[in-house]
Amino acid sequence: MQHFTHQLELFPDCRVTLVLFNDVKNAVALRKKAMEGSIDGALINPAMIVDPFQILVATNKAVHLHRIGKMKTRTLNAEIIFNLSPNNNISDALKKFGISDNDSAVLIVLIEDKEKTVNLESIISQVEGQQVSLAELHKITDISKVKKMYKLTPQEEKIGTLLDGIICRMSTKDIA
Amino acid sequence: MAGGGGEAGACAVSPPPLQGLQLVQQGAEARLYRGQFLGRAAVVKLRFSKRYRHPALEERLSRRRTAQEARSLLRCRRAGISAPVVYFVDYVSNCIYLEDIVESTTVRDYITSVQQSGKDTSNLFLLAEKIGEVLARMHDEDLIHGDLTTSNMLLRPPVEELDLVLIDFGLSFISGLPEDKGVDLYVLEKAFLSTHPNTDTLFEALLKKYSATSKKSSLVIKKLDEVRLRGRKRSMVG
Repeated sequence: MQHFTHQLELFPDCRVTLVLFNDVKNAVALRKKAMEGSIDGALINPAMIVDPFQILVATNKAVHLHRIGKMKTRTLNAEIIFNLSPNNNISDALKKFGISDNDSAVLIVLIEDKEKTVNLESIISQVEGQQVSLAELHKITDISKVKKMYKLTPQEEKIGTLLDGIICRMSTKDIA
Repeated sequence: MAGGGGEAGACAVSPPPLQGLQLVQQGAEARLYRGQFLGRAAVVKLRFSKRYRHPALEERLSRRRTAQEARSLLRCRRAGISAPVVYFVDYVSNCIYLEDIVESTTVRDYITSVQQSGKDTSNLFLLAEKIGEVLARMHDEDLIHGDLTTSNMLLRPPVEELDLVLIDFGLSFISGLPEDKGVDLYVLEKAFLSTHPNTDTLFEALLKKYSATSKKSSLVIKKLDEVRLRGRKRSMVG
């Protein structure tokens, strides 16, 4: 099954892995594990994601801020989720972009660096669901929910993709 | 961004470690690189330190310009004006990672090549009108570019479609004042006419379309006329 990996150019020791699951039955338990720290990853609601690039941009920014001690949230995983949001309200971001108790799809973002390796098999075994390739993401994305969240203007939609608008907001929300 | 700080030389910051990194341009304020970032073709604008400046001022100015640029790019896009997508802003080294408009041509190069080839110049008039239109929309958003030149305007391929993209918002700011908009156009006029000989009528067409598109244009053009009279080597003896 295909997971998606990318080495962050600006942090060459850092590797990001994205794993997507569908038909998830134990979202409640997973949320608990993530909060306790027994799963060291960011659990994201894939309905809000249109492209892995969106996750990479959020992750890159999170790692950058983590390394300089300027994160807005308390953990790297929470920061990744927060960075997906177009606004600066942390609890709103975690609610909208993190997973909820009755979610049936989950996207897990795992970070590996010099200090931390990831046991992919162990993570996968804890999810009661079907691992699917990131290529299936578009089937899970809820476009209308995404549009409502990011509020692209009609003029903006003419000059670029939904993803373009999303990325712009994510990257400039701290000074917009 | 890993940077070697404080070493001797003109610039204290090292280039970003991107795949396929190439130096595209060295300007007075910043270096422009091209490379792969998070799986996409990107351009990195690295503002370097001007060592004659006081370090405190240096830091603030660099950061302000970086933030302004990012802000203006978002503002443009929200208004439907084509400008590069911002991927990441590094406020530590004052670096912006932007969408690379792949295989684009600057308006400067396009105008030059059309003039030199002696081909049909009617497309140039369409281009001038396109520019006038885009600038009108930008000014209607109260966005002042600050450095309008034909090198700061790109055409996506194929060039004939005149798909215009504005770049380099480092000196941009927000203002509703007709004076500021007039100066913005004046800067372009000077750059335009000095770079491209015999283009007076082209620029006239640009201004005409600007006036037709912008609701607030008459005051702006009035100011432009005033600024023209003020310029260098102009007598202000009444």
